[in-house]
Amino acid sequence: MKEEKKQKKKEPKPATRSVSPPLAFLVHLVCGFGLVAPLSVTHNLFSLTLISDSSSTLRLIWVVETVVMILVYSSFRQNPEQCSYPRAVGRGILALPVVIAGCRPTSIMMYEVIGMQYLAKTINWSLFMSSLMFVPAASVFGSSWTDWQRMFAHTKPNGALEYMICIPAHGAVIGGWLGAWPMPLDWERPWQEWPICVTYGAIMGYLVSTIASLGFVVAHPRRHRLKGD
Amino acid sequence: MEGRWWRRWYPWVILVVHVLAILIFTRGFLLTRTDLPFYSHCSDISQSPCSFSENCRDANDTASAASCWTKPAADRLVIIVLDALRIDFVAPSSFYQEKKPWMDRLTVLQNLASTRRSSAKIFKAIADPPTTSLQRLKGLTTGGLPTFIDVGNSFGAPAIVEDNLIHQLVQNGKRVVMMGDDTWTQLFPNHFNKSYPYPSFNVKDLHTVDNGCIEHLLPSLYEEDWDVLIAHFLGVDHAGHIFGVDSVPMVEKLDQYNRVLQHVIEVLESQSGPGGLHENTLLLVMGDHGQTLNGDHGGGGAEEVETSIFAMSFKEPPLSIPSGLDTSFCKVDSDGKEICISNMEQLDFAVTVSALLGIPFPFGSIGRVNAELYALGAGTWNLEGTGMGNRDAPKLEHWLLNYAKVLCINSWQVKRYIDVYSASSVIGFSFEDLLHVSDKYFQAEESWKHTTKNSLLHREGSYHSMLPSVTRQIDAFVNFLSYVSELARSKWTEFNLKMMGIGIGTMLLSIFIILFAIRRVNRPHGTFLPFGGDSGISFEVMSAFLVVAIRACSFLSNSYILEEGKVASFLLATTGIINLRHAVMKRKMLFEATSFLLLIFILRLTIEVGMSKQAATSLFMNASSSWMTGIAPGHPVWRLMTEIGPILALFLLGYLLYRTTIACSSSWGIWEFSTMGTFSSFLLIAVHWGSESNLQQLAILLQGIGKGYIPIIVYATGLGQLLLMTFGQLFSEAIDYKRSLVMKTVAVLGACSSTIIILSGKQGSLIALALIIGGYCIIRLGNIEDDVVDRANGILTFNPLAVTQWNLLAVCLFFATGHWFDEFVLVRQALLLTIDTFGFSLILPVLGLPLLALSQYFIGRTDNGKDSFLKQMSQVWGLFAPKFVFDAVGLVLTDVCICLASLFYSGRLVDATQQNQMTGK
Repeated sequence: MKEEKKQKKKEPKPATRSVSPPLAFLVHLVCGFGLVAPLSVTHNLFSLTLISDSSSTLRLIWVVETVVMILVYSSFRQNPEQCSYPRAVGRGILALPVVIAGCRPTSIMMYEVIGMQYLAKTINWSLFMSSLMFVPAASVFGSSWTDWQRMFAHTKPNGALEYMICIPAHGAVIGGWLGAWPMPLDWERPWQEWPICVTYGAIMGYLVSTIASLGFVVAHPRRHRLKGD
Repeated sequence: MEGRWWRRWYPWVILVVHVLAILIFTRGFLLTRTDLPFYSHCSDISQSPCSFSENCRDANDTASAASCWTKPAADRLVIIVLDALRIDFVAPSSFYQEKKPWMDRLTVLQNLASTRRSSAKIFKAIADPPTTSLQRLKGLTTGGLPTFIDVGNSFGAPAIVEDNLIHQLVQNGKRVVMMGDDTWTQLFPNHFNKSYPYPSFNVKDLHTVDNGCIEHLLPSLYEEDWDVLIAHFLGVDHAGHIFGVDSVPMVEKLDQYNRVLQHVIEVLESQSGPGGLHENTLLLVMGDHGQTLNGDHGGGGAEEVETSIFAMSFKEPPLSIPSGLDTSFCKVDSDGKEICISNMEQLDFAVTVSALLGIPFPFGSIGRVNAELYALGAGTWNLEGTGMGNRDAPKLEHWLLNYAKVLCINSWQVKRYIDVYSASSVIGFSFEDLLHVSDKYFQAEESWKHTTKNSLLHREGSYHSMLPSVTRQIDAFVNFLSYVSELARSKWTEFNLKMMGIGIGTMLLSIFIILFAIRRVNRPHGTFLPFGGDSGISFEVMSAFLVVAIRACSFLSNSYILEEGKVASFLLATTGIINLRHAVMKRKMLFEATSFLLLIFILRLTIEVGMSKQAATSLFMNASSSWMTGIAPGHPVWRLMTEIGPILALFLLGYLLYRTTIACSSSWGIWEFSTMGTFSSFLLIAVHWGSESNLQQLAILLQGIGKGYIPIIVYATGLGQLLLMTFGQLFSEAIDYKRSLVMKTVAVLGACSSTIIILSGKQGSLIALALIIGGYCIIRLGNIEDDVVDRANGILTFNPLAVTQWNLLAVCLFFATGHWFDEFVLVRQALLLTIDTFGFSLILPVLGLPLLALSQYFIGRTDNGKDSFLKQMSQVWGLFAPKFVFDAVGLVLTDVCICLASLFYSGRLVDATQQNQMTGK
């Protein structure tokens, strides 16, 4: 409690590195590419799709995406003086297993069919989701509770970088949530299986919110200046 | 004073409005045909205008004395029912655009239909929805349309009470043998001379029923001790359900049937010579309904409705029926063979078979004797006819005259049914319709008199001149019969939209009444009312509304109804996550939020297990059996867990009860006393479970105590407590309002819970614990926002999100206790069942609502939503009707609970209001 109070007293720190719109665009482009490229690569090279083998496809996606995310976002880490680049990479990697523990029950509530044959899929899906949601935040903020709280509970991102982390993360969750809705329908399509449409929903949500966050990044500096005036 | 009176009566007014609305809606929604307990008898024929002696030759009289309504055309009948037989299993592939793997598999039937065109025929039979086996068997044997009773019992199988084909067979001395699907023995428990039923429940089992059928079918064909043989194969239906139509098992099944049918036909053929066992035997191979390519059936889609009947007589009929009556449609096969397919309605099956066997038509049948199927029996009769002095007469005309007579009897029987039905049933046909029916009937009958007179005149003369008049006569009867069946379809299988509209309107009215009531109740002390518009709409209200709206919308789809438990837990989890977010935001009650999520997680697991218990096809069993068996049986720790767990939970409940009692009460009153009763009940339940357990030493220890007494004592205690509390309510005085309310709620809950727990078995205590934890979390989380407001306003805070969660939690609990819509069976002990079924989902939550200290608005509201949205899914009522009945019962029960709760709590509520006003001043 004491700690919390202390942290409350401190004003939220301004973003350590300002991100210009073109840079933000580039970052999102790289991340989006990291998401879409594995999909098309698996489809064309190994003729794997989410439908035919969702488990291994998901694995490929999250591995690539995590690597991309960590490498990109670690360069935007907070307090670059205190925290070296490798350390940011390290805590980004560390975020993955920690987050699984939380993701697993969540995913079960998110309409998962419970059963052992889904275990591998679920773990891969959890990793995939955390690579979209938490890895960038972990790379940037580390274990700063205030920042995490500000991002994911209050949804009050401050500065371009935080927009770029916060909005896509929420977009992925909402997309996944919406993606769960076709699952109980009796259309008998192969993509109505457990992780597939949720994954598609999350990807769609992520991509859409990436664009939205770009918009915010572009709009934000002006607003900031207005406030300053 | 007036306001006080009003307030107390609001719940009752709402109850009455709801019951009214449901009644009206039911009138329009459920099919309203009622069963008539009348039966046709042989002697009835004397009342008909189509008497025998008038139109038949004198020589015929002696023959007709033995027969009943019609002249029998077949002595024995072999009915082979292949469940879910699609028309394209039987019809040649040349009828379709491309040949699919499942086509042309029953080649025996196709060959016979093309080589012996006059004695073997393929019919495309159109079934009436709902296309489930039970309803179709009913329809096939009664010749009627589905009834209200059908809807309620669509998953149980009660015996048919209406007049039906099998009843008539037995009544007229025919011996019936049945083998295969045990639905038949459920429908006709005492009708069969011999039966070899096999369970139809296990969908995964493709072979038991079929092998049993085959085992008994072939030997039976050599025996003389039956007149009608029914063999019902289930393999195709099950193969469709599990693998779909386009699958290897399906093709294998069809090939197997082909071999069996070949064998059967060979046996019948070999004995069909003069004097043989099967001289006058008719073979029917038929489906009861079709199936979609996925193997589903139940609805009214073309694939589901179109099934097939293959009919074959082993004596060549000497005539081909005139083209006017022929509905066949022919195509040339790839081998150059020509195959024809005729059309008929399944409705006509019962009456046609009755006519062929010469037994009275079932009383409630509205079908018409099918000319083509009926003509197949002509072979057997013309043999008699040749010896009867009218050899010179063209056979066709003789047959046509006979057919006209059969139709005359048929029309008379249908007219009689319509008359009796409209006289005895509350909701009959409209006056104009009846007038039209009798008009058509009298027209046909009038011309019939004319025709018979003619035929008498022309006795010596040529039959030729009669042909046009007989054909016209047949047309008149056919016209009448098809008019009646059309009318019946439109009246009995369509919905009365006006009634349904009024019902929904009343439902909406009740919502307004509720809103009004809430407003009235809240006004005196100006509580925050989220709908008032006087305050900004908060995020909580928004999300609550959104969740309710999503839930209501999800009831538009039948697949969501099947998965309601999962969807509810999904929504609950969503609200839980929102709560978690809030908790993180406010930095408090993180523990509650997380434990709530954990609880939902556990509930979700139990829902899955609860479902897999019933659904044999569930993936869960498949997947987890390996590791489940690793732990489940024999392992002492696991066993101990299952035995001790519920009892521990029970003690925990008792402890919680004790804690709250101590915390709330300063003195010993009635309420406290009744809580003590609950403790003793809990103890007894624990003892009861202990005596049932497998733990040896405990069981021996408790053997002495009569097991049966414990539940009775528990019920009695519960009832006694309730009575006691009623008295207490009447005579007690309130000192501290808030405390006594909590006390009372706890006492009432305790009183009800013991009964409910013992009824729902060992899971009961665990679920009750889950309910309490869930409730606690919801209350705590609901109070995150407005701690201050809460204290100021006493207890009447309105938090829509919490109510929604409470409702969702109740739904989840309902499914977690292992309920499942297929299992909807009305048992005799309706009361106990109701308590068991709704115990956790309605009674406890509603009675526990005051703990939440919230208005009941949302519970009422979601249920209304369900009912009104149900309307739009009118075509799939086969699934919806049980659900509807269920919801209606649930809603009424909710209302009753609310009323009772209001009785218990309302007196104090008013006092509180007054107190509040006092303090306000």
